[in-house]
Amino acid sequence: MIRDGQPLRITGRGAWLDAGRPVSATRTLSLAHDAGVVSYVPGDLTLTVRAGTTLADIAKITGEKNQWLPLDPYGSADGTIGATVATASAGPLSSSFGLVRDLLLGMEFVNGRGEVIRAGGKVVKNVAGFDLTRLVTGSWGTLGVITEVTLRLYAQPPADRTVVIELDGTPREMAAVLRGMITPVLSPIAFQLVSRSISRALRLGESPVALLRFGGNESAVDAQISALRQIATPRELETTVWGSLRELDGKTTTAIRISSLPQRLLATAATILSDDLPAIYTNIDPRRGVMRITVSSDAPVGDGESDSNAAMDFSADTNGSSNVVFEKLPPDVWAAVSASVVADPLSQGIKKAYDPHNILNPGILGD
Amino acid sequence: MVVERLAEIVGESHVLSRKSELLVYNSDGLPGYRRQPKLAVFPGTREEAIAVVRYLAEQNLSFVPRGAGTGLSGGALGDDIIVVGLHRLKKVISLDIENRRATVEPGVVNLRLNRYVAPHGLLYAPDPSSEAACTIGGNVAENAGGPHCLKYGVTLNHVLALTVILPSGEVVQLGNPVGERDGYDLRGAFIGSEGCFGLALDITVRLTPKPQTVRTLLADFTSVDQAAHVTSAVVASGIVPAALEFMDGPTIRVVEDSIYAAGYPRDAEAILLIELDGLEAGVVADLETVRRICLEGGARQVKVARDDAERMKLWQGRKKAFGAMGRLAPHLIVQDAVIPRTKLPEILATIHGISQKYNVMVCNVFHAGDGNLHPNIAYSADDPAESERVHKAMREIMQACIAAGGSITGEHGVGLDKMGYMESIFTDTSLNAMCELRGVFDPDHRSNPGKVVPVHSCKEWHGTPAGRRQPTEHQPPPLEAEPSRPVAR
Repeated sequence: MIRDGQPLRITGRGAWLDAGRPVSATRTLSLAHDAGVVSYVPGDLTLTVRAGTTLADIAKITGEKNQWLPLDPYGSADGTIGATVATASAGPLSSSFGLVRDLLLGMEFVNGRGEVIRAGGKVVKNVAGFDLTRLVTGSWGTLGVITEVTLRLYAQPPADRTVVIELDGTPREMAAVLRGMITPVLSPIAFQLVSRSISRALRLGESPVALLRFGGNESAVDAQISALRQIATPRELETTVWGSLRELDGKTTTAIRISSLPQRLLATAATILSDDLPAIYTNIDPRRGVMRITVSSDAPVGDGESDSNAAMDFSADTNGSSNVVFEKLPPDVWAAVSASVVADPLSQGIKKAYDPHNILNPGILGD
Repeated sequence: MVVERLAEIVGESHVLSRKSELLVYNSDGLPGYRRQPKLAVFPGTREEAIAVVRYLAEQNLSFVPRGAGTGLSGGALGDDIIVVGLHRLKKVISLDIENRRATVEPGVVNLRLNRYVAPHGLLYAPDPSSEAACTIGGNVAENAGGPHCLKYGVTLNHVLALTVILPSGEVVQLGNPVGERDGYDLRGAFIGSEGCFGLALDITVRLTPKPQTVRTLLADFTSVDQAAHVTSAVVASGIVPAALEFMDGPTIRVVEDSIYAAGYPRDAEAILLIELDGLEAGVVADLETVRRICLEGGARQVKVARDDAERMKLWQGRKKAFGAMGRLAPHLIVQDAVIPRTKLPEILATIHGISQKYNVMVCNVFHAGDGNLHPNIAYSADDPAESERVHKAMREIMQACIAAGGSITGEHGVGLDKMGYMESIFTDTSLNAMCELRGVFDPDHRSNPGKVVPVHSCKEWHGTPAGRRQPTEHQPPPLEAEPSRPVAR
C-alpha cells in the first residue's frame, strides 16, 4: 500500500483515532490484525510484539509471569502498543517508570518508501548506531509505520497498594498538605492530584483528592503508608481505580496536556483544583510536571464553561514557562491553536527523508 | 591562514598546530586507533565556540568535537581534521534545586557536576567509570552509561534539553528544559550521535534525589558459572539493584595486586558487587532476598559494606579495574557487547573456551545486571603473533555475542572501533536510514566524518561531491593499529 504513493491514514484499533489533527488521506492502513508476541523471555524482562498487540493483551501475557509493562496511557487498554509508541502516550506510572521512550528498546518500522527499517535491538542497553527508535517514537506515524516493538518489562511489585487523600479546605490548607507529600520518605509509583469532577466520576467523594500508588516489597510499602498517616488521612482503595481514571478519557472531546516545572505546577495546584468546573476533568502529576485537562462529552456543562478556557488561561499565565500539547480538539479548532509542531528545518528535513511523498498520516502534526 | 583566524577567535594559546603538540589528540581512550589531526582549537566561551563552528562552515572544513578524550570507541579523532576541544566550556550555567535540574556547558566534568549538586541532596545518575575526567558533552555524544545505569538509566534518560550548534553554524534548541513538548524527538536523536550531528553548547539534565539508604554487598564464588547464574536469578527476581557488577578471578587478582586493592578475596573465581538503594525499609528487605539468592547460588560468603569508607573501597577496585590491567601488559583491548541477561552463563563459558583456544587471558569485568560485557585482554602489541591471537579471539567473542541476540556496543559507542560490525546487526536499509538522519543534521558530513555508519552504506550520499571527497575509510575488525598505553577508565 505504501508503494502506491497514496496518502494513508495509519491506525491501530482506532482507540485514539480522535486524537491529533485531521488527516487528509484516501485510504486506511490498519495494523490491528498484525498482532501477537514475537518473543518473550521472562528472565530477560524483555518482550517483542507486533504493533497491533493491545495493551490489555500485553498485560495478560506478562501478568502470567508476574511481570508488567508499566505503561498506562489514558484511554482504553484496548489501544495497541503501536499506537501508544507512535503517539508517545503515557499515564500516571510515567513519573516513576519513565515515558514510552524510556521503556522502548527497539522497533521495526516501514518508511514512506516502503523500506523496512530495524532500529535499536532486544537488549536493555544499546548505543549501536544513530537512535532511530527515539526519533520515531512520538512521530504519530509520520516518519514510518511501526510494525514491531521490543519493550523493557519490570517485575510486578510484590506489594501494590493505592490510597486516596481528600483535599478539602481552603487552597492554602490544601497547599500545605501537598507540600508535605513531596518528601524523600514517600516514593509512590504513581501520584495524581485530581479535580472534584474526577472525584465525582470515580465515586471518591465531593472534594478534590490525591491518589497515591505504592509499589515494592511489603516493608517499603508499609513504611510509606505509615509515613503518609503522619501528615494526612489516607484511605485504601482498590488498584482498579487507576484503570477507571484512564478510562474517563474514553468520552473526551478535548484533551490538553500542559507541562511545566514541577514546583510551579505544585504551587498552583491547590488553586486549580479548588475550582469546581463539572464538565472539565483536571489531573495533575506533580512529579512529572504535567497537568492534563480534558472535557468530557457526557459531563454536565456548567455556566460559561467552554472547552479549553481553563487550559488556555493557565498557559497564558505562565509566560512561556510551560508547554501546551494538544492531544484532542474538536476538528474545527485545530487550525486555530497551532499550525504545525514539526515546522522547524530539522524536522522538515527528517520528514522529507523518511516520507518523501508525504503519504504517512498527512496533516496529523500540522506537517 | 586558518590557524590565524582561529587564533583571532580563541586566542593564540588555544590553537595547536605543531605536530608534537597534537600528538595527544591523535587518539581517544582506546589507543588502538590513531589519526593525526591538523589543528586543535579550544574555545573558551559559548560565543567563541559558535564563531569557530561558523568559520569552519564558511571554509567547508571538517572537524571533530572532543571532550576529555576518554572515549573507548576510536571516536573523537580524525586524520587531517580540526579537533574542536570543549573542555574549557565548564560552567554550570544554572542549578534549579527545587525542580531538580541543572544546565551546564559541555565541558563540565561528570564528577564535578556531582560534587556541585551533592550538598543539595542531589546527584546526576549516569556514572561512567571515567567520571573523574569525562565531560557531560562527551557523555551526551556517546549516550554514556555506567554501573548505576542498571536502575537509573543511561544519559538519554537524564537529558531534558540541549542547545546545539549544527555543523552549518545554526544554533538550535532540542527538547525543552521546562517540560515535555510534541513534535519529533530531536533531543533523543542527538544523544548518542557521537559528534556526527554537531556539538552541544549547553545541556539541561535531570538531577536525582540521593537515595535515603545505600547498601553494597560483595558475594564471592568459586566458579564463574555460579556467579553468572546468580546474576540471572537476581534480575529475574524482579529486584532492580542500583548496580550489579561482575569481576572474574583474573580481574580480581590484578586489582588486588594494584594500588586499587579493594580487599576482594584473591582465591575467588568471580565476585558480584551488588548495590541496593532506596527507602530504608525496602532496601533492608531486598538485601535479605539478594543475600539468600547469592547463598543459594553457591556464594562462599556475602559481605555487606559496613560504612561509606568500605563501600567506596569496594567500588574503587571496580572502577579502576581497567587502569589496573596496565600491570599485566602494556596494551589493552576492550569490548562493550550487550547480551540478553539469560545468556550470561552460556556466553561466559564460550568466552572461556575462546580464550583457551587462542591462548590469551581474557579478563571479565562488567555491568552484569544489564548484560553489558567488557571482556578485555592485556597483551603486548610488540609481539605480532600474540597480537594476531588477541584480535582473532576478540572477533570471535563479538560474533558469539551477536549470535546470542546481542548488540555490539552498550555504552562506548561505535566510533571507528565497531563500525565493521554494524553490518552484522543492521540491514542496508536500516544503515541508510541512519545516514539519512545524519544527512539532515550534517548534510556535508563535516562533523566527525567517517564514523558510526560505514560510508558505503549511505546510498544517497556517497554519490555526491562531498561523498566522493570522503576517504572511504572503513575499518574491518580487527584493530589496524596497536595500543601503546594501557587504558585508564
